[in-house]
Amino acid sequence: MSYVSIFMQYVGQYMKTRLTYRTDMIVEIFSDLLFQAVNLVFILVVFGHTKLLSGWTKDEIIFIYGFFLIPFAVFSTFFNIWDFNERYIVKGELDRILTRPIHSLFQVILERLELESMFGVITGLVVMVYAGQNLGLTIEWYDPVLFLLFVLGGSLVYAGIFISIATISFWSDSRTAIMPMMYNIGNFGRYPVNIYNQIIRFVLTWILPFAFVGVCPAAFFLGKTDWYLYAFLTPVMGIAFFIFSIILWNIGVTKYRGAGN
Amino acid sequence: MGKYIEMIRIRFLMMLAYRTNYYSGIIIYSINIAAYYFLWSAIYGGKEDIEGLSVIQMTTYIAVAWMARAFYFNNIDREIALEIKEGKVAVELIRPYHYLSMKTMQALGEGIFRLLFFSVPGMVIVSLIFPLKISADPATWGFFAISIVFSFMINTQINLMTGILTFFLFNNDGLIRAKRVVIDLFSGLLLPISFYPLWAQSIMGYFPFQYISYVPSMIFTGGFAGSEVWNAIMMQFLWVAILFIPIQILWVLAKKQMVIQGG
Amino acid sequence: MSNLMIDVDNLTKEFKSHSSRSGLKGAFRDLLTRNYTVHQAVDSISLKIKPGEMVGYIGENGAGKSTTIKMLTGILTPTAGNVRINGMNPHKERERFVKTIGVVFGQRSQLWWDIAVQESFRLLKKVYNVSDEDYKSHMGLVIEALDIAPLLDKPVRKLSLGQRMRCELAAALIHNPPLLFLDEPTIGLDVLVKLKIREFLKELNDRYQTTVVLTTHDLTDIEALCERVIMLDEGKIIYDGALSQLKTSWGEGKQIQFHFTSPKTREELLETTGSELVVWEPSENANSWTANVTNDEEVISVLIKDVVADHKILDLKLLETSTEEIIRNIYEEGVIHG
Repeated sequence: MSYVSIFMQYVGQYMKTRLTYRTDMIVEIFSDLLFQAVNLVFILVVFGHTKLLSGWTKDEIIFIYGFFLIPFAVFSTFFNIWDFNERYIVKGELDRILTRPIHSLFQVILERLELESMFGVITGLVVMVYAGQNLGLTIEWYDPVLFLLFVLGGSLVYAGIFISIATISFWSDSRTAIMPMMYNIGNFGRYPVNIYNQIIRFVLTWILPFAFVGVCPAAFFLGKTDWYLYAFLTPVMGIAFFIFSIILWNIGVTKYRGAGN
Repeated sequence: MGKYIEMIRIRFLMMLAYRTNYYSGIIIYSINIAAYYFLWSAIYGGKEDIEGLSVIQMTTYIAVAWMARAFYFNNIDREIALEIKEGKVAVELIRPYHYLSMKTMQALGEGIFRLLFFSVPGMVIVSLIFPLKISADPATWGFFAISIVFSFMINTQINLMTGILTFFLFNNDGLIRAKRVVIDLFSGLLLPISFYPLWAQSIMGYFPFQYISYVPSMIFTGGFAGSEVWNAIMMQFLWVAILFIPIQILWVLAKKQMVIQGG
Repeated sequence: MSNLMIDVDNLTKEFKSHSSRSGLKGAFRDLLTRNYTVHQAVDSISLKIKPGEMVGYIGENGAGKSTTIKMLTGILTPTAGNVRINGMNPHKERERFVKTIGVVFGQRSQLWWDIAVQESFRLLKKVYNVSDEDYKSHMGLVIEALDIAPLLDKPVRKLSLGQRMRCELAAALIHNPPLLFLDEPTIGLDVLVKLKIREFLKELNDRYQTTVVLTTHDLTDIEALCERVIMLDEGKIIYDGALSQLKTSWGEGKQIQFHFTSPKTREELLETTGSELVVWEPSENANSWTANVTNDEEVISVLIKDVVADHKILDLKLLETSTEEIIRNIYEEGVIHG
């Protein structure tokens, strides 16, 4: 299908606009870096007061965080839909989207691209390599392949959750605090879920499966054999949640009420 | 004065209209606090206390810090930025009120709403689930109340400043995001300031951030005692006074800028 | 397969809305229970439009115009009823369907704000999968006719409203659709731009037989372009037919205002014209009188001939009830008779 060429066209336009406002882009990348630094600071300060966190060392926790940054960066690049309700439903921009011959969600994704978030991939890799060296990890031939698979799975988990939340707007256009708070909850995937109690662990594994963005796949590379099953479930969960969210979206579009009613 | 009180009331009613927001809010805040509770329990891992706070005090600290955040937190920086970009501020200026005071009052209306409908019921729920140490001393509650009012003022002042800066920057989104991150970290919301290494603590002493969250939370958990409480509140007051100056300067410059650019 | 462009049967759209109670106490009660009301925005309307027609779709605010257009363009799902446009169901086959229509919303931009107009065009060309040859031959004409060539390399945010609107129109036509929806396309535009747009639409209709459905508040648009009007009130069609028909059955005759050189009395005038076919009314001063007659060429000619023969006049004005007045009358009385 020509979706690939349309995607390239949008990327091209995006680059052109972004290059006109270069300072914006730099500020944005800088504030992303700052955000990532804050979380590292938190980990470092905490480990100034303890040696182990439920059996995980400082470097392991940092490694998990580094991994988490990568699917999160991919998600932020393509699924920047936290203001979907405001922008597309309340202001009625979806009207315009729906008069064009491309899947509506795909158009929203194209319009909300934020390619500079991809810098998070670099930050994540740097953090992972740093922690990995401290831990003396080695890379096997299959590691890069699994790494890509896990990153894809993690990104889709994130995308699935946030698309599902965005679809709520089709039924009710009142503003909710769910979107911003979900970002908060998402952050708990950065820590090993075994520090939480059973209910939260269950939620983070099966209902809002943020565990599959950070600790589960990362544990594979850390050689934690009892996590392997979860690690290999990552792509499965990603695809399942993503498909679920697309179905929800397609139903939601038929419930769209248009702006001004 | 009446019109500003009306502003608070209107914003309060607006918040009340978002029903889903209200129901989901408490649940999500509780989840957030819960997650931090477990994280901190894991961090303590059997230790009696870290930097003078027991694990129960730490849990209380986190819970109250988040609940207080519901009160002082607001999005007026984004709102101002948006109104500037859409050219609405020029219109606001011809209305018979002070634009910044009006924004502050809207934020206050929002804050009071969240205090009553998020924080209070949320705190009750959280204290039923987790072992918290809540003081029965009316003095503590009194100091806490004064302290969060100052927290609101300092945070709002910082938001006003970030918002007004939109006049001078083409796109202010990056700065607003950066500010939010800095406040979460250095206000003591995520970590009590006393947990930081000493050199970091001394640098933070020159900034107003810790007076937003660290001070009220420490007062509530009993982490501060006696004269420490008084000193902390005096410092909050001092910062409120100091922050008026840059806001006034920025506002005057912004109005000049607006005359030149025509909004 | 019918040869209709638009075939709509009993189309209905209901909106469920909650009404909020007043005051603080009411707001608290709203937290617990809500009052829902069902509102019929579009109430069982049927209409058929043939290829090549230009149809004006009019109605007051809230009459259901936009809602209908949004259902016809596949944006909203109907609550009930059938829609076939170009042989397709707009909502079910949305992506295939919208390739065959062009839409202009006067109040909403289709173009990308920050980038040059031609970049937007290029993007849309890709989106609609238009070949280079088709684009060149067709858009060349459009760009020329709308006179937007000098605007193409400017970013949209730098354009004036009139300039932008012409670009919007061009953007909606990139894929040369057989059917064009225009929702308030001339809102806020000055007369020259309006004329240019109308001229262009006529040309488009001549050349490609493009079917046009137009909603507007400006009835001069409709008069200039549409032979047929559909009138909507409270979600129902209250008139569907020729514009000229509307004028003859509702235009309440003609008024002829005479300005005489000297004061006249009603008796003097009646002596000249008789009272069967004309009603005289005094105007601003004693020198001027208005004759109300039926809109009939014969009657009017005879009247003018007789009056001028008997009395000296300074000035003579023929007043016709404007479409706007006709429509106001219809809405005031509610139903169409005749």
